[in-house]
Order: sequence, then C-alpha cells, then structure tokens
Amino acid sequence: MSNLLEVRNLSKQFSAPGGPFRKARSMHAVNGVSFDLPKGRVIGVVGESGCGKSTLARLILRLVEPSGGAVTFAGEDLLAKSASQMRALRAEMQMVFQDPYSSIDPRYTVARAVIEPFEVQGRKPDGSAKAEVEKLLEMVGLDAGLASSFPHQISGGQKQRVGIARALALRPSLLVLDEPTASLDVSVQAQIIGLLEQLRDDLGLTYLFISHDLSLVKYFCDEILVMYLGRVVEALPETNAPARHPYTKTLMDSTFEPDPKLRRLIAPLEGEVPSPFDLPPGCAFAERCEYATDICRVETPALNETGGHPVACHNPL
Amino acid sequence: MSMLSVRDLGVAFGSIHPLSGVSFSVDRGQTIGIVGESGSGKSLTAMSVMGLLPLIGGRITDGNIEFDGQDLTNLPETAYRKLRGGRIGLITQNPMTSLDPLKKIGPQVDAVAILHLEMTPKEARARTEDILETLRIPEPALICDRYPHQMSGGMKQRIVIAMALAADPDVLIADEPTTALDVTVQAQIIRLLDDLVKERDLALVLITHDMSVVAQTCDKVVVMYAGRALEFGTVETIFDAPQHPYTQALIGCIPRGGDGTAKLDGIPGTVPTVMNYPKGCPFHPRCTRAQEICTTTQPEFTSYGDSAAACHFAGVAP
Ligand SMILES: Nc1ncnc2c1ncn2[C@@H]1O[C@H](COP(=O)(O)OP(=O)(O)OP(=O)(O)O)[C@@H](O)[C@H]1O
Ligand SMILES: Nc1ncnc2c1ncn2[C@@H]1O[C@H](COP(=O)(O)OP(=O)(O)O)[C@@H](O)[C@H]1O
Ligand code: SF4
Ligand SMILES: [Mg+2]
Ligand SMILES: [Mg+2]
Repeated sequence: MSNLLEVRNLSKQFSAPGGPFRKARSMHAVNGVSFDLPKGRVIGVVGESGCGKSTLARLILRLVEPSGGAVTFAGEDLLAKSASQMRALRAEMQMVFQDPYSSIDPRYTVARAVIEPFEVQGRKPDGSAKAEVEKLLEMVGLDAGLASSFPHQISGGQKQRVGIARALALRPSLLVLDEPTASLDVSVQAQIIGLLEQLRDDLGLTYLFISHDLSLVKYFCDEILVMYLGRVVEALPETNAPARHPYTKTLMDSTFEPDPKLRRLIAPLEGEVPSPFDLPPGCAFAERCEYATDICRVETPALNETGGHPVACHNPL
Repeated sequence: MSMLSVRDLGVAFGSIHPLSGVSFSVDRGQTIGIVGESGSGKSLTAMSVMGLLPLIGGRITDGNIEFDGQDLTNLPETAYRKLRGGRIGLITQNPMTSLDPLKKIGPQVDAVAILHLEMTPKEARARTEDILETLRIPEPALICDRYPHQMSGGMKQRIVIAMALAADPDVLIADEPTTALDVTVQAQIIRLLDDLVKERDLALVLITHDMSVVAQTCDKVVVMYAGRALEFGTVETIFDAPQHPYTQALIGCIPRGGDGTAKLDGIPGTVPTVMNYPKGCPFHPRCTRAQEICTTTQPEFTSYGDSAAACHFAGVAP
C-alpha cells in the first residue's frame, strides 16, 4: 500500500508579541509531528483543546506555513511548491471544518457555495453548473430543492453536508476533517458519520479525521494519533490497541461507556495542563503523571517503538 | 418523600409553549439525569425549578414543583431569592455566568455563606478554604486571592461548584456542567459531583446531552425531546431495555469504539425547535414505528416496572 501523505517532523511556532511589561514569547503549537497516511485509510487525531490538532491540519494543507519539517502528498514535496502550484494541488486535498459556513460568504446560496471551489481554481465543471450542483448535493444526500437556500435557512446538519459537498467538488483524494460533527446533535452526527463512511467506500477517499472525542475516533478510524501539547505522544496502530502512554490511558479512563454496567473508576488527576508558552523541560505530561521518574523532568521522550507500537514515554505502560 | 419533585410541568412564553408534561423526582443521595439533544427543554426545566422564568418573561402554566414538601410553583421572587443559591444550587455550562470577573475568588465564595448562613466574613473564609480543599483545589488560600481570568475553565467550574456548596444545599441542579470542558477535566468534575452526592447526601439533577455521562453517573434518567419527557426510568432499564423508539434510536447514535461491529444508525431528519414542534407524538416525523395515530394524538405514559414511556406502541413488539 502506498502512502498518499507523508508528514515528517512538522512543526509550527507561534509567537506572542511583547509589550511594555512583557517579553515576546513563543510556543510550539505543533512540534515534530511525523506519520504516514496510506491511501484509503483513515487516521484519527485526538487530543484536548489547544493541543495543536487544527494547526496540524492547516500545516498539512499549507494553509499555514510550517516552521520546519516536510509534507509529501502523492509523492510531491508540498513545501517546495509555488503558490500557484499549491493551488492546483489543493484540488486533490480538501478540508472540512467544524463550522462549514465560517469560510463561506453567508450571502451565498447553497448552489453558489458548492460550486465556488471551481471558480477559485478558474475551472469549469464537466457538465453545466446546475447539473454539477445537483450531482454534488445528491452525493451528500441533500435535496436538490435546497440549492437556492441560504445558510440561515438550513439546519446545522444540512450545512455540514454543504461543507462536505464543497470539499468534494474538485474530486479530491484526501479529506482533512477538522471536528466535522463537533457542533451537531448526536442524531445528526451519526448521519454525517454514516455519509462519510459511504463516501469513503464509494469514492475511495483517504481521511485525516480530527476530533476531541475518543469514542468517535475509535469508531470511525483505522489508526489513532494521540496529541498532547503539540506532540504526538502515541500512535495506536489499531483502535482497540491498549494505551502505552500514561496520557492516553488518562484519556481512555476519562471517556465513558454508554452502559451503566461499565462505569469507570475515575482516578483523581493532579495538576493542570501547563501553558504552551512555558513548557517545563522534559515530558510535558510529567507534572501530572503517576509513572514519572527523574528522567521525565529532564529529557523529552521521542516516539519509540521498543516493546510495542510507537509511544513517546520514558516509562511506557 | 422526594427532595425535589416536578409534576407535569408546562411552561409558556406568551403564546409559545416550549415545555409540557415534564415530570421527575429525586431523593437525597441520588442523581437523576435529564438527557436530550439541543432544544429539548433541559435548560428551561432547570430555570423553572430555580424560579428564574419570570425574569426571562416566561411562566409556569401547568403542573407543580415541590421542594422538601414546599410548593415552589409560583413562589414569589422574594421567597425564591432565599432558596436560590441557598438550599437549591445551580451550576451552569459557562462558569462566568456565576462568577464576577472583577472580584477575587475568595470574597465571591465567602459572600454565599455570609448571605445564606449568616456567617461573619472570617467564619465564611474558613469555610471557603475548607470547601476548596474538599474540591481538591490546591493551595486554597492562594486561590482565594486570584481573579477568575487567572484560572483554567475546569478550575473556574470548581469554584462555581464551591459557591453552590457554600450554602450547604440540599439540591444541586447542574445544567451541562462539563460540556465546555476537556474530557479529562470533565471526568474530574463528574467524580467530584459523584463524591458530593454520596458524602453530603445531596440530590443532584444532572442535565446533559451526553448519554455516556448519564450511564456513568445517574441512578435515574428522564429522556426529553421537543419540550417533553418521552421516557423515564432507572438508568439500567433506560440502557438495557428502552421502550421509547426515540430512546432506542438515541442509544443507536452513540459511537462505540473498537471492534467495528456496531454500526452507527443516526436518526433521519432534524431536532425540532419550539417553532415547529410536531403535533401528536413529537417524535413521529423521525420515528420508524410511527402510525396514523402518532400524527394526531399525544401518547400517554405506559408503565413497565419502575419506568415509563410515552409511546403508543411502548411495550408492543415491533
Ligand atoms: N494563529 C495563531 N497564532 C498564535 N497562536 C496560535 C495560532 N493558532 C493556534 N495557536 C495556538 O496553538 C495552539 C494549538 O491550537 P489549535 O487550534 O491547533 O488547537 P486544537 O487542538 O485544534 O484545539 P481545539 O480542540 O480547541 O480546536 C493553541 O495554544 C493556540 O492558542
Ligand atoms: N426565553 C425563551 N423564549 C421562548 N422560547 C424559548 C426560550 N428559551 C428557550 N426557548 C425554546 O424552548 C426550547 C427548549 O429550550 P432549552 O430548554 O434551552 O433546551 P436545551 O437546554 O435542552 O437545549 C427550544 O426550542 C428553545 O428555542
Ligand atoms: S515520559 Fe515519564 S512523565 Fe512522561 S508520560 Fe511517560 S512516564 Fe510520564
Ligand atoms: Mg481545533
Ligand atoms: Mg441548555
């Protein structure tokens, strides 16, 4: 199986400007992230707020310029591309956002929103624009009658279908889905997940699926990357692989089962997530980790496959 | 006798009726979950119990609310003010609705005991520090000297819980207390609330849209949809043998990870808002079992054991 996407040591530093009373500071939103995404597979990225999931997504599509590292998409080195080459490549790799209309003009009708990617590319669809809109709406299970509706006239789930139709317009091979169901009710989330499953099977799509919801990622994905403060701390090769990183274990223990017979014993977790601007030396989880030893507070552990799947921990479980 | 019981509650704003037929009760040392998707009427139920409807232009049109034997339905605001934040505490999704951004934490929490327990400022501060400690907040004295903006979301929510506890309440209403929090923080807050129910013999009304949170913490459950209770029962029956098609469908929407055998079903259509609550059974436009009668007639509750479902076909094999 060949890799559609290869990410190597990808990093992004942001800086907060200084002021009269404060030094300029910088932080790593994404820090040395590497992984391979084989064609046709679904990799999930899971982690808590601010751990760098969305930044990682934007770096991969080069919507944000990396501070370092490399992204290879279908054999092409993305960071070596000019803006116009990049625009052409973006037809192949599209993003779906949590709030689909955040990047679309609220005065656009559904039809306009769905056809806009062609305009951006300076391309025309194969048939008429109207036929193309109908085809795309059908692909995402929307009634063609909605084509002339405005965003405020449709529901959250319908908007998300429009977001997906738009992402599909240029027939990409990779979709980066950044929390596509986070603002939806569960009954609608389940519809959208079902649609994404069907599209993957019908169109042979490859997904990078970002979510803070471990149950959802376990359900939907083939492999899982667990992020903590900008780093991938564990790469689960299959969704029911046991946690090797203490943080992953905490995340799993904090995720409840929809079954009162499977109640969890919630162990108290000490401390707070450190500020990304002020990371302590060593492992970022050390302060809160019950397995931490002296080396954890000195040396940052690298992803390591000794004894099992990749984990960045000095004392893996 | 129940600590809090709500019977057949109906609420109106002008000619709009966003809530009707909501009943539940909760005892000391017990947690009841009110679960439903957005717009199902969970928050309005909480506001009704807290006596906050008049302040937002709403009113109770049907049913009654009883707290420790006292009828709260249409209790005047002056009397409610003594109970609210006193014997009945409220925790909301956004901690900043309860915290004053301009005041230090200590004085804000102290004020509760000063007002409701008539303590001196000194006594109140000692109590505040005690409570912060039971909530596993490190260095309570230091925290008392901080402002809300200097704290994480999880810590702010703990402070709000501390404020609710400061008056030594009998009932706590928690309206999506962990929805805005990360999962590890959510788990910590849930653990805290669980411990409080057991240690202080509180009656907890836990409002959430998350069935997994319900499964983890609640003794009893009310399932709401389109401003109505559709099913209630013990947490075991609700998950093992739900009778209402909506409850069954809702459980089918929960992603279960791992082995890839369970398929996510989804429910066709969308959650209605108050402007388009369906006639008859509110779930009928999305229900796979709906018949003619469902479109015209609101179903009564059918009991089975200590649970009940409002469906024309509850208990009837499909
Ligand atoms: N343009 C930016 N400038 C400065 N800092 C940024 C910028 N974008 C993101 N960050 C910071 O980078 C970190 C990672 O942010 P990111 O949005 O990638 O997190 P996330 O994992 O997607 O979180 P969430 O679950 O809340 O969506 C955060 O600390 C955020 O504040
Ligand atoms: N102040 C109000 N006036 C009129 N309708 C309201 C008001 N508050 C809420 N509603 C309506 O009542 C229904 C239930 O709302 P709410 O209790 O907030 O639901 P939930 O908390 O379950 O999401 C919704 O359809 C909502 O639009
Ligand atoms: S490296 Fe050390 S501190 Fe970090 S998670 Fe592993 S054991 Fe804990
Ligand atoms: Mg994000
Ligand atoms: Mg609400």
